[in-house]
Amino acid sequence: MDKYLVSPNPHVHAAVSSDSLMRDVIIALLPAIVVSVVFYGWSELLVLAVGALSCVLLEYVIARWLMKDLHLFSGSSALVTGLLLSMNLPSTTPWWVVFIGAIVAIGVAKMSFGGLGQNVFNPAITGRVFLLVSFPTYLTHWEIPGGLWGADAVTGATPLGAIKEGLMQGGTVQDIMAANGYSYGQMLFANLGGSAGEISAIALLLGFVYLLVRRVIKPHITLSIWATVFVFAGIMWLINPARFTDPVFNLLTGGMILGSCFMATDYVTSPMSDKGGIIFGVGIGLIAMLIRYFGSYPEGVSFAILIMNAAVPLINRFCHQKKFGRA
Amino acid sequence: MAKTTFRIGGVHPDDAKVSRGCAIEVLPLPQTVYISMAQHLGAPAKPVVAVGDSVKAGQLIAEAGGFISANVHSSVSGKVKSIAPRKDIAGNNVLHVEITVEGDEWAEGIDLSDTLVTEIPGDRAAILDRIKACGVVGLGGATFPTHVKLNPAPGSVAECLIINGAECEPYLTSDFRIMLERPKEIVVGAAIMKKVLGDCRCVIGIEENKPEAIESMSKAVAELGYPGIEVLSLKKKYPQGGEKQLIDAVMRRQVKSGGLPISVGAVVQNVATSLAVYEAVQKNKPLVTNVMTITGDCLPVEKQHNYQFRIGMPLSYIAEYAGGVPEGAAKIISGGPMMGRAVANMDACTVKGSSSLLYLSEGATKRSEPGNCIRCGRCADACPMGLEPFFLFKLAKVGDMDQLEANAVQDCISCGCCQFSCPAFLPLLDQINIAKGQVLGILKARAAAAKAAAEAAKK
Ligand code: SF4
Ligand code: SF4
Repeated sequence: MDKYLVSPNPHVHAAVSSDSLMRDVIIALLPAIVVSVVFYGWSELLVLAVGALSCVLLEYVIARWLMKDLHLFSGSSALVTGLLLSMNLPSTTPWWVVFIGAIVAIGVAKMSFGGLGQNVFNPAITGRVFLLVSFPTYLTHWEIPGGLWGADAVTGATPLGAIKEGLMQGGTVQDIMAANGYSYGQMLFANLGGSAGEISAIALLLGFVYLLVRRVIKPHITLSIWATVFVFAGIMWLINPARFTDPVFNLLTGGMILGSCFMATDYVTSPMSDKGGIIFGVGIGLIAMLIRYFGSYPEGVSFAILIMNAAVPLINRFCHQKKFGRA
Repeated sequence: MAKTTFRIGGVHPDDAKVSRGCAIEVLPLPQTVYISMAQHLGAPAKPVVAVGDSVKAGQLIAEAGGFISANVHSSVSGKVKSIAPRKDIAGNNVLHVEITVEGDEWAEGIDLSDTLVTEIPGDRAAILDRIKACGVVGLGGATFPTHVKLNPAPGSVAECLIINGAECEPYLTSDFRIMLERPKEIVVGAAIMKKVLGDCRCVIGIEENKPEAIESMSKAVAELGYPGIEVLSLKKKYPQGGEKQLIDAVMRRQVKSGGLPISVGAVVQNVATSLAVYEAVQKNKPLVTNVMTITGDCLPVEKQHNYQFRIGMPLSYIAEYAGGVPEGAAKIISGGPMMGRAVANMDACTVKGSSSLLYLSEGATKRSEPGNCIRCGRCADACPMGLEPFFLFKLAKVGDMDQLEANAVQDCISCGCCQFSCPAFLPLLDQINIAKGQVLGILKARAAAAKAAAEAAKK
């Protein structure tokens, strides 16, 4: 009898592991990665590679030699952090800036809290926001893709940045959009300046649908962000279309899609319950739009997610799953 | 028919009902059987035979040892060789009556023929007595004495008798087979229980992955023509066969925490129990046989079986008869892969509620190294009781009894959905079960203290 296992139920396990979930997230990011490498070329590949490799390496080094517990090393999760960090940076970012971002993401935001599952703030966003504040020049100007059609690449501002600047100089939204030749088609299929994660909404949405189909994430958080942005921007736009950009523009530009689909849905730093997820999403949508419309930064999704990350423990305290047979 | 299911949580483990095509075969008798005195929920039965006595199959050998307890009968004819403690499947010592088999003679008055008896006796009390005398217990897992469940406390009214044909555990097909092979007996059994409960509505719930069973049972219901019995097709989801879940699926009512099904007007009985009730009431045959599945992922299909066994047969005897424990088996389970118990002792014997010998390979059953909780919430999504297993797990580790109680650890039905779903492979249920035991102990002590105080106040 000794050769047979004796342990309590359940005796089987679903075909899912933390690693398989992270692998699915990486697969979901692939379309956007491919699109960005095609548009930006080698420099983008370098940013992605430096981000991914340094995050994995840093996590290993910290787990092994600083925390002295290799169980705390999770390569797949560090890889996702690295990719997301890189996708939030322009392809022109110098490699050492990417590396500093990785140190902040893995070393400060994740491992110093105790590693996988313990961190409060989304590591990739923490890394990006740190870089945005510390090295604004590298992070606010972008190379506008053009190489594929033979045109020379030019550097410039992102649509959100251009509009913010234009508005400050007294222009109206319509004029600025027309002057820059922005169209929704471009936003969807990648042709505007931005970081890898910002240029192609379609590629990101494809990944998002994949995650939903594979049941890696649930739609609550993402959809409530979108709904909030749409309604809030819709109201403001109806009130004053010269001063406020329209809802569709706000959904498709900047880090909105990447943030709502891939960053806000990070398990560790989002609420546990569906109800909590909706509150979290509404909060992100509102804060992001307030920053975009009224703040000094053109983009607010990253800040919004970080602020709501801090509220997660509180949300979890008050939002619970409905229990069976209890009021 | 509209398909329905329970509303909170649940998981979809791989069905693996490979043995569904295996017709029920009757196991030959071994030389010796060992009949457990504790094969039902509640107090163990008290032996009424002595060493050296001759017994016949179906003869009473032990009497119910309390209000919640059940009679036990001999499953064979022969001589009582010993009455002594013996290890059960978990390795615990339990009193067993050992009987050396001689021939196969049944006690007087038991009808062993196949003739279907559809006429239901008129006297409710007499029916209940017969069910009690024949030692019928729930065969869906809990082995709660059936006569107790069919006789709700005065004041409570049964509105719906639910016959559980969900068989939501993967691999198991014994209920499926009896629904295919003995549908009419099951329906008559249901009609009997319905009558005992005061002619309430009766719903036979079957999961949609068993269309043949749905068809077979629907046909039997139509042909027999008892009024007020219907077959309901349920969406496949584990643990549909859980009592509270099934009531929710069928009646859209949730039994309150700590409450009994009858508090929402429900009584749930398994299809195999229904068959046992039929045999007890119509044939006067005590519960000494049942059907079990021999199955597993490392057992080729041609070696899988559904056997009609008699209680007290050593598991090793059955395994041997079926061709031995397969090479690749890493774990032997009695019951399903989600809620069954690992067999620690193959010398243990079948009991009334035995449902399977399940052989799982290392690949299917080996636990992976646990990692950190990634706070994905999958355990909470899976929990059919709406609990937060990740949180209970943490509380259990630090032993915070007050918080465990406040977060309803006592409501856990040990279904295993949480641990099944956890991508970090945390042993959630292991910890939760320990904590649940402790909290239930505290609740019991508190209730006892309150009762004592109330009585003291009266005097
Ligand atoms: S075992 Fe308990 S805690 Fe886990 S899912 Fe089932 S009821 Fe919920
Ligand atoms: S399923 Fe496992 S990893 Fe996910 S929240 Fe529950 S305990 Fe944590």
